[in-house]
Amino acid sequence: MSTEGKNPGERFTGHGPEWQDAKLSKSDAVTATVWVEQIVDKRSMLTNKDRVEDVRDAMWQLEKEGEIVVHRVTDEHQPIMVKTLYGWDKKIPTTRLWHHKSCGQCGNIPGYPASLLWLMNQMELEYLDETDQTSCTAWNYHGSGIGNIESLAAVFLRNFHQAYVSAKAQGLPDGYYYPLVHCGTSFGNYKEVRGYLLHSAKLRESVKKILGKLGRLVDGKLLIPEEVVHYSEWLHVVRNRVAEMQQIDCSHIRSTIHPACHVYKMVPEDAIYDDSVLEGNRVAVSTSLMQALGAQVIDYRTWYDCCGFGFRHIISEREFTRSFAIDRKIRVVQDEARSDVMIGHDTGCITTLDKNQWIGKAEGKNVDVPVLADAQFAALVCGAHPYKIVQSHWHASSTEKLMEKLGIDWQAKKAEFEAYLKDVAEGKIESLYDPRKMITSGPGYKRIEATP
Amino acid sequence: MEHAETRVQKYIGDPVSDAPPVDRDKLEEIFNDIQADLRYDHELNGCLNCGICTATCPSAHYYDYSPREIVQLLWTENLEGIYDAMQEKIWACAQCYTCAARCPFRNSPGGLVMLMREVAIKHGMQSAKDVLRPFSRVMLKLISTGNQLSPDMISKDGFPDWGPNISKVDAPLEILRKAIPVPTLHTTKTAWEVNLKTSVELYTIWEETGVLDSLGTIDANLHDVIEDIMDEKRDELEEWLDEQEDEDD
Repeated sequence: MSTEGKNPGERFTGHGPEWQDAKLSKSDAVTATVWVEQIVDKRSMLTNKDRVEDVRDAMWQLEKEGEIVVHRVTDEHQPIMVKTLYGWDKKIPTTRLWHHKSCGQCGNIPGYPASLLWLMNQMELEYLDETDQTSCTAWNYHGSGIGNIESLAAVFLRNFHQAYVSAKAQGLPDGYYYPLVHCGTSFGNYKEVRGYLLHSAKLRESVKKILGKLGRLVDGKLLIPEEVVHYSEWLHVVRNRVAEMQQIDCSHIRSTIHPACHVYKMVPEDAIYDDSVLEGNRVAVSTSLMQALGAQVIDYRTWYDCCGFGFRHIISEREFTRSFAIDRKIRVVQDEARSDVMIGHDTGCITTLDKNQWIGKAEGKNVDVPVLADAQFAALVCGAHPYKIVQSHWHASSTEKLMEKLGIDWQAKKAEFEAYLKDVAEGKIESLYDPRKMITSGPGYKRIEATP
Repeated sequence: MEHAETRVQKYIGDPVSDAPPVDRDKLEEIFNDIQADLRYDHELNGCLNCGICTATCPSAHYYDYSPREIVQLLWTENLEGIYDAMQEKIWACAQCYTCAARCPFRNSPGGLVMLMREVAIKHGMQSAKDVLRPFSRVMLKLISTGNQLSPDMISKDGFPDWGPNISKVDAPLEILRKAIPVPTLHTTKTAWEVNLKTSVELYTIWEETGVLDSLGTIDANLHDVIEDIMDEKRDELEEWLDEQEDEDD
C-alpha cells in the first residue's frame, strides 16, 4: 500500500489504530483470502451455505393441514422434470399454458411474447393469452418502494387464481391452464413472495381477507402454485423440439448469454442447472437452447454482472444504466468474446442492453452488438418472419447485422412488412390465435367453446 | 470562515453545533418500522464484514454506496447511520440481488434496502419525494391500470439517449401496434389490454394494503388524480353490471 503523503510507518487502512499487520507471506495471504476470491462461476458460490430448505415441503404440509389449495402441474400439462441448483426436481409444464405477460416486453419488445406464442403454435400446443391479468407490479416496487409484501402477495395470488379459473370461459375445468411467467422480475418476485406466504401465517391471514373480498379463494382457501415457471424454463425443456423445426443454420454464430439476476439470483435454489450445460456451473436456460440450435456459446468474464437496469435507474438515472451496460457488458462481449449476438431471457436486461449502445458514441465507445431474447432468436432460425413475428424493428441494436450473418434478406422482409402495414390500416390483421379468447369475463366477454 | 452544511449536519445534527439532532424517538420509530417487517429476520442473519457483497455490487462501482455498510448499520442498530443512509444511499441500489446470491450468511442487502425504501416512503422523507418525482408517470400507469410501462412512453423525446431507432419502421404507433400478431397488445396507452374488472380488483388491493396511502405521503397530487381515475373506472364497471342485470331481467 502506498505511504506517499503519510508520516513514516503510517498506513491508511480504515480499521483504526488497533489494526496490526499480520505479516503473512504471499502464499499464506493467498490461503487466508482464497475463500473470498473463489471463482464466481462455480455453483459453490451459491451452495456453500446453510439453512437452505425447499419451500415446497412447507407447501404440501399446509395443504395437508387444509390451509391452502395447491394448483398442480398435472400429467395433462405434459411436464418435463428438471434439476435445480441443489439437485431438487422441478416440474415444467409444456402445454395448456396461461401466458402471464410482461409489461416491459409487451410495451417495448413485443416480438418477445409474439415469438414465444409463434413457437407454441408451430408445436401445436395449447395456451391462453387473456386480458384479465395485471403485471406483477414488482418493477415499480423495486424501483420506487411503492408497494409492500402484502400488495405483492395479493397481486401474485390474484393473477395465479385467474390462471386457475380462466378455462371456465371456454367451458373447461379449473386448473386446466398452468401459468407461464414471461418476465424475469415477475418470476423472481413471485417465488420470493410464495416463500413468505408459506412461512408466515400472519401474511396468509391478511391477504386471505383481501382475496376473499375479490372472490379469489378456492374452497375458502388461498391457491398456491406447485411450481412458479419462467418461459425460459419452458424453452429449456422443449429445446430439442425447437431444434427439430430449425430452418436456418447458426453454427457460425458466436453468441453470448446474459443470465438475468432475478431469474437465478433471487431464490437461487429454484434455478435450473444441468450437468450437460456448461458442466452445470451456470444457470442452464438460454445457454441450453442456443447449444441445441447449434450456435456457439462464448464465455466472457463479466457474465455474472447485472445489466445495469436498476429499475429506478433506467427511468431517472440512466447515466448509471448506460455506463454499466456499455462498460461491463456490451464492450466485453464485443471486444473479448467477439459476439455476433447477445442473448437474454428477461425484459429489463434486453431493454437495457439493446437501447444503451448508441449513446456510447458520445464518449468514443463504439459498441454495436445485436441483442435479442432467446425466444426471438429461436423463432428467427425456425423461419419466423423477422418483422411480423420477431418484430425486430423495435430493437435499437443492429439486428440487421445478425440477420445478414444468418443469410436472411432483411431488406426484402422489411419491405414485406411495410406492405403488410397497409393491410393493417385497412383492418386486415393477422393473429396468432382467435382474438375472441382474450376476454374471459366482464365487458366484451362472449363465451366460445374450446376446440380440442 | 463559514462552512457549507454537510448532510450529517443537516439531517442528524452536529455534536459541536446548536442545531437540534433528529429526535431519538423518531430514529427509533423508523428503525422499528424497518425491523417490524416479516422479511427483516430472513434478510439479515449476521455479518462478518467480508465485503463480498460490495465487491460484486454494480452500484458500488458508480455511487457512494456499499451493501456491506447497509448490513452493518442494521446489524449494529446504528440508528443515526440508518437514518443518514435513507437520505440518499439506499436509492443507489440497482436491486440485482447479486449481493444476496453471494453472501455467505444468506443476508439480502438488496432486500433490506427495499424495507428501508418502504419506510422512507411511509415517513414521507424528502429523499423519497425527490428521488421518485421522475417515477410519477410509471406509478400513475401502475396504480390505475396494473401495467407499468406502455408503448406511448417510449419516445425519442423521452429517451433521446436511446438514439434514433425507437422503431426502425416509420409508421403511426397505432398501426405498428396492430401489426403485432398478439391481439392483447393492440394498445398504445397500456402494454396490453387490461380487463376493466381486473383494474377494479387491483384498486381493492392497493387500498387494503395501504399502498394508496403511501403514495399520498410522497405525492398528494398524484394520489388525487389516481383516486379520480379509480372512481371513474368503478362507476364504469357498475354501469356495465347494471346493464347485465337489466339484460338478464
